[in-house]
Amino acid sequence: MPLDIARVHEVPDDLLAAIDYCYEQGWTDGLPVVPPTVERVHATLVYEGRPAETVVATHPATGLELSIHATAVNAAMAGCLPEYLPVLIAAFEAMNQPDFNFHGSTASTGGSAPMLIVSGPVVDDIGMNGDVNLFGPGNRANATIGRAVRLILRNVFQMIPGISDKSTQGNPGKYSFCIAERARGNPWPLLCEQQGYPQGVSSVTVFAGGGFCNVENHGGNTPEQVLGSVADAMANYGCITLGQSVVVLAPEHMKIVADAGWSRQDAQAFLFAQAKRSVEGMRTVGKYRDSEYAKQHDAKAHALVQEGFVHRGLTPDDILITLGGGDAGGHSCFIPSWSRGRGSIMQHRAIGVCIDCN
Amino acid sequence: MRLYDPTSSGPKRTLRRAPPLASLEGKTIGVLENGKLNAAEMLGEVALLFKERHGCTIGAVYSKSNASAPAPKETLVQAAREVDFLITGLGD
Repeated sequence: MPLDIARVHEVPDDLLAAIDYCYEQGWTDGLPVVPPTVERVHATLVYEGRPAETVVATHPATGLELSIHATAVNAAMAGCLPEYLPVLIAAFEAMNQPDFNFHGSTASTGGSAPMLIVSGPVVDDIGMNGDVNLFGPGNRANATIGRAVRLILRNVFQMIPGISDKSTQGNPGKYSFCIAERARGNPWPLLCEQQGYPQGVSSVTVFAGGGFCNVENHGGNTPEQVLGSVADAMANYGCITLGQSVVVLAPEHMKIVADAGWSRQDAQAFLFAQAKRSVEGMRTVGKYRDSEYAKQHDAKAHALVQEGFVHRGLTPDDILITLGGGDAGGHSCFIPSWSRGRGSIMQHRAIGVCIDCN
Repeated sequence: MRLYDPTSSGPKRTLRRAPPLASLEGKTIGVLENGKLNAAEMLGEVALLFKERHGCTIGAVYSKSNASAPAPKETLVQAAREVDFLITGLGD
């Protein structure tokens, strides 16, 4: 193993002092971290079969590389249990795809946070939460896997707030932004199935998310009413762009949609058709761009694109919809993209297995 | 207690800055615009100042298809061949 990967700091056997030492080194997100002891890191590395120096992701601008070893060190610091490591590695392998553009999405003024959606049997295997309070707080796996993503961006890729991370306002998700897809009572294929992975294989989807928008609707009783309120949130002037979307439907809302016989594709088509603003309205707030309109209304325009309107995204497939949350409450959410166009496209990866890889 | 360093990256690369120009006088300036609204206009104005103040020749304008991604290597290699120095910046 190259020496640089195995650099060790000797500190006194005092846990509180070691936590302070981590602060002094600039290794934290502002919250205390678990000191990454050699023993804890080695216990974490047991959950990955490849050599520790294997590169998982490379920063496209600086060339800085993330090894499996560094992933394990930061996972330990975030408070991850060793068995969470494969999820974290898969997330960075997904973020390493050029179309995700993790340099831009982590450096930009836009304040993006990489959102992780974990789907499949691994959710129960490691005790993730897709149910009550799935966005937190309260679940160790959700909280610490998401936190480890941020620590890696900071410590390995040197995306330092104010220096290389120029986010205008930041984003609470930049501490942690990781959820599980709820399988219980889910009427639609799980994301990992939709994505084409073999039965029993879990996946993680990464999305450069711009924030969190609660969609409250306790009065709607039809798919059109419930999804109409979601579409309105997606089309708000502050959020509408040609970028992608994530929608997490609460079980109450999902039941209304699915009981009416709507598939995921039906819901995507409805949201795409409805989440739009008129050209005139876009001009009113100064956000209309000829080039963006032309991109959406060119010869390849989707059949649902309406003349004189700007839709959110380019096609219904730009809207990821899944189930999450507790049984009670008409509260769904919409997560806008950081990208205003095609600057970052969501990616997914199998967890803990190698599919079609070299 | 022995702690692993969380900042460890892969093998160290040998990166170095290009040597600075001894003078701007009479040099050829290039512009790398990022495709954002007003980027080309703003950078063009800046290039004009170099022309007025230092007698620079304004060379090629290079573009990126993705404002937030690094410029493609081919673009940078071409620029290095065609101009003496390059300016870039965000237009938004």
